[in-house]
Amino acid sequence: MARRIPLPILLWSGLGLFACALFGRKLAVQWSGLQSGEVVDLDRVILVYGLLPRAAVALLAGAALGLSGLLLQRILRNPLAEPSTLGISAGAQLALGLATLYVPSIVERSSTAVAFAGGLVAVALILALTWRRGLEPVSVVLAGMMVALTANAAGAALILANGDYLFSLFIWGGGSLVQQGWDPAIAIGWRLALGLGAAVLLMRPLAILGLDDVAARGLGLSLNASRFLLIALAVWLAATVVAEVGIIGFVGLAAPVLATLSGARSLKQKLVAAPLIGAVLLWLTDGLVQLAAGAGGERVPTGAATALLGGPLLLWLLPRLRLFEWPSLDRPAHTPKRVARPWLRIAVLGAAGIVTLAIALLLGRGLQGWSLASDGEMLADLVAWRLPRVIVAATCGGMLAAAGVVIQRVTSNPLASPEVLGIGAGAGAGLAAVLLFAGSAGLGWQLAGSSTGALVTLTVILVIAARGNLGPERLLFAGIAMNALCSAVLAAVVALGNAQSYRLLGWLTGSTIQATFLEASVAAIGLVLITVPLLVAARWLAILPLGAGTALSVGLSVRLARNTLILIAAFASALAAQFVGPLSFAGLIAPHLARMMGLDRTRPQLAGAVILGALLMMVSDWLSRMLFFPYQLPVGLFASLLGGVYLTLLLGRGVERRG
Amino acid sequence: MSFRRDGHLACLSGSPSLDRRAFLALAASALLPRLASAAQPRIAIIDWGLLETALAIGVVPAAATELRQFARIAVEPAIPASVVDLGLRGSPNYELLRMLAPDLILISGFYEYQRPSLERIAPVLALPIYEAGRPPYPLAQSSLLALGERTGRGADADRYAAETGAELEERRLALRRFASRPAFLISLGDARHFRAFGADSMPGDVLARLGITNAWHDDTSYSAAAPVGIEALARVPEASIIVLAPLPAEVSRGLPDNALWNALPAVREGRVAVLEPVNHFGGLPSARRFARLLADAVAREPNHG
Repeated sequence: MARRIPLPILLWSGLGLFACALFGRKLAVQWSGLQSGEVVDLDRVILVYGLLPRAAVALLAGAALGLSGLLLQRILRNPLAEPSTLGISAGAQLALGLATLYVPSIVERSSTAVAFAGGLVAVALILALTWRRGLEPVSVVLAGMMVALTANAAGAALILANGDYLFSLFIWGGGSLVQQGWDPAIAIGWRLALGLGAAVLLMRPLAILGLDDVAARGLGLSLNASRFLLIALAVWLAATVVAEVGIIGFVGLAAPVLATLSGARSLKQKLVAAPLIGAVLLWLTDGLVQLAAGAGGERVPTGAATALLGGPLLLWLLPRLRLFEWPSLDRPAHTPKRVARPWLRIAVLGAAGIVTLAIALLLGRGLQGWSLASDGEMLADLVAWRLPRVIVAATCGGMLAAAGVVIQRVTSNPLASPEVLGIGAGAGAGLAAVLLFAGSAGLGWQLAGSSTGALVTLTVILVIAARGNLGPERLLFAGIAMNALCSAVLAAVVALGNAQSYRLLGWLTGSTIQATFLEASVAAIGLVLITVPLLVAARWLAILPLGAGTALSVGLSVRLARNTLILIAAFASALAAQFVGPLSFAGLIAPHLARMMGLDRTRPQLAGAVILGALLMMVSDWLSRMLFFPYQLPVGLFASLLGGVYLTLLLGRGVERRG
Repeated sequence: MSFRRDGHLACLSGSPSLDRRAFLALAASALLPRLASAAQPRIAIIDWGLLETALAIGVVPAAATELRQFARIAVEPAIPASVVDLGLRGSPNYELLRMLAPDLILISGFYEYQRPSLERIAPVLALPIYEAGRPPYPLAQSSLLALGERTGRGADADRYAAETGAELEERRLALRRFASRPAFLISLGDARHFRAFGADSMPGDVLARLGITNAWHDDTSYSAAAPVGIEALARVPEASIIVLAPLPAEVSRGLPDNALWNALPAVREGRVAVLEPVNHFGGLPSARRFARLLADAVAREPNHG
């Protein structure tokens, strides 16, 4: 009896054949060039050292990423874990960029080792950040995203500060598969073989780690040792790919998920299916990229193209993904004592804000060192420069903080922050479109472009959220997917390496340097328009975190309240992103800080967070102006570095409490 | 009295009817260069191409951007120590600029977005060198002349433009044998990709002026095209390859082992010239530097041509 071949296998074979056909076409074009004497030799070289290794690298890198993603998803029990969502790729790339600049000899010796170190640091940071939350999936992915964003911003600042030298980072960032030899294929190949071997050997622990901790411990498994071993293996595979060809997004995410959806049930089946599917996916994408390439080069690097395909795929998958039942995302167990007179504390904070403002306006550096501007005309002129920047920074910090309070309360997720909804990146994609179509677009057009981008992003997220009646986690996942998609668009534009790329890089790192009084007034009005309604709607913010049942019982339309609040938060993040870039963790940190100061009730927390956000951004702006005078660094970068330090501190306290 | 603002006008109209006052003015400008420069506006320059152009005609700006990087990438001319570093080109330090209080700020189209901020400090003069799809040499030359006009160095500017033209002509003759083949003009960002300089880049424009056919015919934008895989260099097997430094460490390490690179006819036959860095977005001084470096490299290598 002839058994029917299952549909998914047919599908994947079909796609594989299609990729084969694309490759065959490329080969045919190459062979048709074999005519005159000297050219034959060169064409053979292009075939042997160009086309063939490129196909091999596509297949091997795809398989390596598929395996890496499978291991990470399994170990972390997180369907969205993969090298790029966990910031492993970004960390590896940043390490390569830093090493290229400051210790080129190490990169020359082993770029893979450098990338591995960077990836390990990234993943260690994420595990550390989310350890006391039991590596709960949403937190892990959010932390990964933060690490990735910060690493990308730092990378962008490196390019900006070093001009033409780092143009190779443009290419790495996009992940180009162009090959001129077999070394990368061999490097990825033997590591993939080792990785597969190790995965098969560790099959039993891997299978058990997919269960919950208690079961795993009951089976006598040294939980953490095997976990770390397997994570290191996954990082090693991903870092090799980054070192050899650059960041290739989404293959690591899509391959294991698609394997599951294609009917791979057992771990053994998945270990076969995920790498195979990853290989087919990347080969196919690369074939399409080559097909679309003109004589002037490939329009989009393959690594960015995978993200363009993968982002929508992720959005489509979202309602279909089975999320593990996870202990609900409660507020951290310890809550600082609520203060008796919160408004007194807020007044003190406000006074601190005013002092900071005065310092930011008056104290600066000049050719003759530090100076406190005091004489009339110069003071007026300097303040005229500093005031718009400081106001833009402060109000954007305040808006982000307000958005952060809202998002954290609506999603009941203390790790949520406005950047996470992808609205900042959406604004960037809109800005990129405007710059591409009209290179010298004025501020008005740029604002229009970024607002449109932000609104479109927001609408997509809300539509998806409404359709699937998504809970808080899936809403955030949708945000992450949009963020990744928009970041890929930005990466593709940046990879073009032209004047617009430079403008976008500047925006990505978050700069207040061009701030004008017009922008300052827009931002200030925005802050008022956003904060006042929130203070009025404080009741919603107080009730929503208590759960849908409670909300319904007090007569609150959950959907209306939630959507309105999200809309306000999104507008706040969009406006702030236009002026200070997509990155600054003011929206994450400020609500936390406010709560730690005992401002727990809604209105005091909101007011406190807004002031703290403004403070944070004013300090970041001042530091960015002063530290490397006369060179100025982007304020967003400073804010996110401060945010990273804060997160690490947060973790330290958590561990101590447990230990 | 226009010649008083521009002492060289007398020089240009140096006819037998040279009157006494003009003669004195000429003498003053020759004997007392400090006096002449005191009459010059204090200038701040954001754009590197204009920076080298200004220095070429003896205008020393009060401030300019990214001087450390300039010394590494553009190399020449040496920047006098009196010039204050304003920070990154993309984000110059406006506060510092305000404290320096220049009389005039020079930008190019690249920095047009900074104009509103800069105009609060001093009048802004935008002198275009690069515009998409246009060869930059004529633009650079007219910018040079306009700058000379504005700073009272019209004669120096005229002379510099003429010298540049003459030098290019001289190099063109010297490079006649080399010009029998087309050439790729590229920079290498990593060991796998290059960017080609087309006719709308300064080195590409100069290449054409030296009588050398650019082997790269596809579109480039004036910031050089998107990176292309090295195998694209095989499309014109008879072409020579001119590489503009700097070479990243990865390239120096990876390129000698790159089988495809080594298989290129130009590489096998030693028709590759690696030149010292040249400012990719320079003015006429960069044009001269590029022509000189190329002629020197070709003169050193018997295989070229």
